Amino acid sequence: MLNQIGNYSLYIALISSILIIIQSPILLSRNNINVSGRIFSLISIQSLMIIISFIALIIAFIVSDFSNETVYNNSHTSKPLFYKISGTWGNHEGSLLLWLLVLSIFLLIFTITSKNLSNKYRILTLFFQEIIILGFLLFILFTSNPFMSLFPIPNEGTGLNPILQDPALAIHPPILYLGYVGASIIFSSSLAALISGSVNKTWAKHIKNWVLVSWIFLSIGILLGSIWAYYELGWGGFWFWDPVENVSLMPWFCLTALFHTVLTLEKREMFQSWAVILSITTFSLSMSGTFLVRSGILNSIHTFANDPSRGVFILCFLFILITLSIFIYFFYQNKIKNNFSKTYIVSKEAAVLINNLFMMFFLSVVLIGTVYPIFLEVLNNDKISVGPPFYHKLIVPFMIPFLIFMAIGPNLNWIKDKINKINLQQLLFFILSIIISFIFLKRVGISYLLSLPLFIASFFLFFITIKDFSVKKTNLSQKISHFGFSLFILSVLINGVLAKEYSSNMKVGDERKFLNKTIKFESLKINENKNYQSLEANFKITDKNNSINLKPEVRVYDQPQTITSEADIKSTLYSDNFLVFNILKNDGFYNVRYQIKPFMIWIWISIILISFGGILSIVKKNG
Amino acid sequence: MKIKILIFIIIWLVSFFNFSYADNSEKVDQISKNLRCLICQGQSVYDSQSDFALSMKILIQNKIDEGQNDEQIYDFLKSKYGEWIVYDPEINKNTVLLWVLPLILFVFGSILILRKVSIK
Repeated sequence: MLNQIGNYSLYIALISSILIIIQSPILLSRNNINVSGRIFSLISIQSLMIIISFIALIIAFIVSDFSNETVYNNSHTSKPLFYKISGTWGNHEGSLLLWLLVLSIFLLIFTITSKNLSNKYRILTLFFQEIIILGFLLFILFTSNPFMSLFPIPNEGTGLNPILQDPALAIHPPILYLGYVGASIIFSSSLAALISGSVNKTWAKHIKNWVLVSWIFLSIGILLGSIWAYYELGWGGFWFWDPVENVSLMPWFCLTALFHTVLTLEKREMFQSWAVILSITTFSLSMSGTFLVRSGILNSIHTFANDPSRGVFILCFLFILITLSIFIYFFYQNKIKNNFSKTYIVSKEAAVLINNLFMMFFLSVVLIGTVYPIFLEVLNNDKISVGPPFYHKLIVPFMIPFLIFMAIGPNLNWIKDKINKINLQQLLFFILSIIISFIFLKRVGISYLLSLPLFIASFFLFFITIKDFSVKKTNLSQKISHFGFSLFILSVLINGVLAKEYSSNMKVGDERKFLNKTIKFESLKINENKNYQSLEANFKITDKNNSINLKPEVRVYDQPQTITSEADIKSTLYSDNFLVFNILKNDGFYNVRYQIKPFMIWIWISIILISFGGILSIVKKNG
Repeated sequence: MKIKILIFIIIWLVSFFNFSYADNSEKVDQISKNLRCLICQGQSVYDSQSDFALSMKILIQNKIDEGQNDEQIYDFLKSKYGEWIVYDPEINKNTVLLWVLPLILFVFGSILILRKVSIK
């Protein structure tokens, strides 16, 4: 029953999509017709249908309707309700339906909020957006239908990958998708603006909010992903430069660059073509991200559900969209009205260009590092791995000038500024940064010659962004985001330099000395839970002043049979105590890994601050 | 099946021996962080608890005890398992573009910007 509801509503959505695509050119040729007529009702029907099908799938998961193949493959009656619901998008079919849902809802919001803009621009945006929706509908209906029926109906499902049964990861995909799909609106509207010859201040003002919305969701989505990786994968790391992580970072770089460009476009009517190119690139990266993750090409710990045959469809679809957009770009590029105003080297415009240059560089490092091994294997049959050392070697040296430019840039005026303004105050802060970094590295006792300039640059940015709160010129949201970023870099660096780790094989009752602490393996007990058994250890960590207890677990899930290690983490403002243990094959011994991670919590807080700046900017505009 | 039992026994034996020399383990950590666990999905040897990773750590430990330096160990592993095992690809004719392409793009972008901005 639910399968039929889901299927039929998707088909109705498909028909509406085709109708809109056919009608848009007709509406375009007639000038005075308002969009709010027939097309608006079609879009509403489409959204409604997709919402219904999504709800149908959620209900199928909640009631464990195993006549549905997706539910059968990804759920189990013994699962807690929360994970039954999150299981809806924890698989390939459901996650695509979620993509589609967000696509159509965003389009509806766009249609409602763009009423004061030109008709041509709106219809064209709808047109391109509907092409994307149509592509996804076809993809879902013909290669990954979440409403396939099973007969005879099985009694029990096969379960959800236990590693995904986690609160952070349950909401991570929807948040990330909101970011990805927001990029689709930016893509469609930039093409529409290009064709209708309206890549101008008004467009920049309108699209800025969409850029911000996608950027905020993407930032928070990435944050949730790293928090999850931090406590669930047992690495103690929060970023591994894993291909699937990289894929979400690439559109982030692009959106960050785009946001700064759109700001300039709004203020100074410059960089129009560049804004369009960035809009196209952002969406292409979001789409290829979905393709790469879903296709199983990537060798990654995050590839949970994949099927190479589906990749071909996304690849073709992506190819069509990119070709279409490049074609449109070159065809309509001369419609862009450049006012050829000069960019002076000491100006905010130049600072934005430099920001974009670095963003594109970081993007290219991550992009090339991620896809190069794939191409090399296809062309040459050589398998290489590109991991953290590669990214660090290429990104870290460029971080130093980037941070310094980031400190100086926002304080410059538009059009033209004086050079001597840079010198006085900032020089003082620079000297202060040198002193602090030097003392800090000296005290840590590491001869990190390379780290010194990096620390100087980050402290410099940190001080300048704090100082900027006293300056009235720039807006508060920018100050918060930039301060958040400087805090982020500093926390990552300090965390990297000061992190301590101890790993050993221990039995119950064993005691080990580490630094000035004693780690004692006190006890071990078995807990029975609804859908898993857990082995809970109790470790006592004592130093001179106090002691803490850490209780990591090893969980044995039965549906499907999987063993996961749950780290136990005690966070304070100064540092995290992280402990994880694993079962070894020698009787009685467990591999114990204890880590002290300074300033860990500040990494999360700083990303929240970065995103909060964006949220504030939207709220202030509309409030 | 036989092979599995054999591997199991070997690992069991070797890991027993392993308790005796806990020193030098920092070096092992450092090297194993740069190695891919070949049977895992995107984990380093250091992070993995799989049989492969455990025996790999022991192998590295043994090499260090024999007095080999980092480079000799990496070379040995590369000749045995291929370039795939190291996370830090060396620069050769296959990977020169990997390392240089981002830099070329940066230079290209800088030139574009320098041509656009005017000094005065």
